[in-house]
Amino acid sequence: MIAAGLPSRGQPVPSAAPAPLLEFRNVRVVYDKAIEAVRDVSLSVPERGVVALLGSNGAGKSTLLKAMSGLLYTEEGVLEGGSIRFRGAEIQALAPDELVRSGIVQVPEGRRVFAALTVDENLAMGGFTKSGSSARAKLERVFELFPRLAERRGQVAGYMSGGEQQMLAIGRALMSEPVVLALDEPSLGLAPLVIDRIYGVIARLRDEFGLTVLLVEQNAQRALDVADHGYILENGRVVLDGPADRLAGNEDVREFYLGVSREGEKSLRDVKHYKRRKRWLS
Amino acid sequence: MRFFLELALSGLAVGAVYGLVAMGFAVIYKATGLVNFAQGELTMIIAYIAWTIQTNLTGNVAVVTVGALGAALLLGLAIERVVMRPMLGEPVFATVMVTIALAVILRSSINFIWDAYPHGLDLGVGRSVVRAGAVGIRTGQIAVVATLLAMLAGFTLFFRYSRFGIAMRAVAADDRTALLMGVSTGRVHAAAWAASAVISGIAGIFFAVSYDLSPTMFQLGLKSFPATILGGLDAVIGSGLGGVIIGVAENLAGGYLGSGTKEVAGFVLIIVILMVRPFGLFGQRDIERV
Ligand SMILES: Nc1ncnc2c1ncn2[C@@H]1O[C@H](COP(=O)(O)OP(=O)(O)OP(=O)(O)O)[C@@H](O)[C@H]1O
Ligand SMILES: [Mg+2]
Repeated sequence: MIAAGLPSRGQPVPSAAPAPLLEFRNVRVVYDKAIEAVRDVSLSVPERGVVALLGSNGAGKSTLLKAMSGLLYTEEGVLEGGSIRFRGAEIQALAPDELVRSGIVQVPEGRRVFAALTVDENLAMGGFTKSGSSARAKLERVFELFPRLAERRGQVAGYMSGGEQQMLAIGRALMSEPVVLALDEPSLGLAPLVIDRIYGVIARLRDEFGLTVLLVEQNAQRALDVADHGYILENGRVVLDGPADRLAGNEDVREFYLGVSREGEKSLRDVKHYKRRKRWLS
Repeated sequence: MRFFLELALSGLAVGAVYGLVAMGFAVIYKATGLVNFAQGELTMIIAYIAWTIQTNLTGNVAVVTVGALGAALLLGLAIERVVMRPMLGEPVFATVMVTIALAVILRSSINFIWDAYPHGLDLGVGRSVVRAGAVGIRTGQIAVVATLLAMLAGFTLFFRYSRFGIAMRAVAADDRTALLMGVSTGRVHAAAWAASAVISGIAGIFFAVSYDLSPTMFQLGLKSFPATILGGLDAVIGSGLGGVIIGVAENLAGGYLGSGTKEVAGFVLIIVILMVRPFGLFGQRDIERV
């Protein structure tokens, strides 16, 4: 039966892609029983992949991460439809601490370091679920990634610069030994040089530490540079997705997210042919 | 001079009782953002439980203390689990009302379970007088001050070095982000209620041994709440010190300015200090959440 038309020997069959490590299936999130922030979103994050989730303000990116971390209930949000799976099992009913323990960790938007706690104490909190013997080794790894933090261990986090706080927020998340690390707009408000440093670490996390990364960004250029695959979210829907390099080359993406202007103000969803392009892209 | 010393020393002792109860307020506020208006009632109930053990079982001071504080621990956990946890996420106003209702229930339970008469809690200790020069002080008073100091030291170390202590500070600062670290805020709340009930229970036992036991003892809560405001509602250590300041100020005012001023001295002090430091002497967080 399977004779002709096979891909050349040694190549994986395209349709038999590995089961995703983390998967959102037809997710719908409603806040306050009225505001539909995310509708019918499906996206998958393969093991050891870096997936970029792009979109402008209010698109629903952070909402998806809150759903992933089990935090919706703190804001009167409810996952009204669909499911979130990790290694094939549904996780949307798990409590936040159970999710962290199973390796699903996020660096929240705006860094959210504990301002009154020192760098060391912030890192200790990151490792809250994994106390004990390995703490020193993990600290050393974080300090190796961010030597700046090693110099400021006793400093109160609230007085550090934005870039240092972002490093601390990432280091803190790493202390819990994540399997999937989601980062919510890590470049927000940082100088280009600092962004370089942060993105350098993100690449190392995948290459050297084998992490799976879900990268939420408005800064599409940076994110698509490091990502393997990208999704574009608008008004709570995925409007486009595809391999990162193709997305970066896509005319509409270039126009709306990379600041390569073509004509007047338009939404990506208004672009007639986006569906055809989507098919072409994926 | 002798008069002054005597006033100051007994003020110190009663202030240590206020301080312990005030620490109870602060522990719950720090962890949950709530003022527990049943703190004085909790203090009173534990003292009554101690008295029950003493009259029915044994007067052995160790047994009575361990028994009553064990009961305090369970009572704190039970209140958190049964009454407070279902209120999680509800408006602060509603939740505070629940603690007020709890206060009324606990207060009247004294009359249901025990009776309306004053009793002495005699554990065979604490009543002998130690003389230092011209002034005398009871051993119970020395013990309560020593206990407060030990608690202050213990909590300082706990908040600075223990994983759970740091987690409590993290929850107080930003509970959503603490959730992202895998800190179970439910567990932190439960521990805070248990710890708070135990600290208050210690205060209640000391108070009952030094003075007596009566259904009006819940007023210790009213006396101690200003201490926690003075020290800082979110400052556990500060609240302990606030109690001492108020106890001493009250006694000195009562001794030198007439007994009528004793009741108001603490509050005058609070008004003055809050005008200068609105979050209390050691407080950090604004107290909008109350
Ligand atoms: N707690 C909330 N209650 C009600 N609506 C909310 C809440 N949080 C977010 N929303 C709404 O849900 C939608 C998606 O918000 P979300 O924060 O997920 O967007 P985002 O893509 O992360 O945007 P940004 O890039 O600005 O961070 C927005 O319309 C927002 O107003
Ligand atoms: Mg966001």
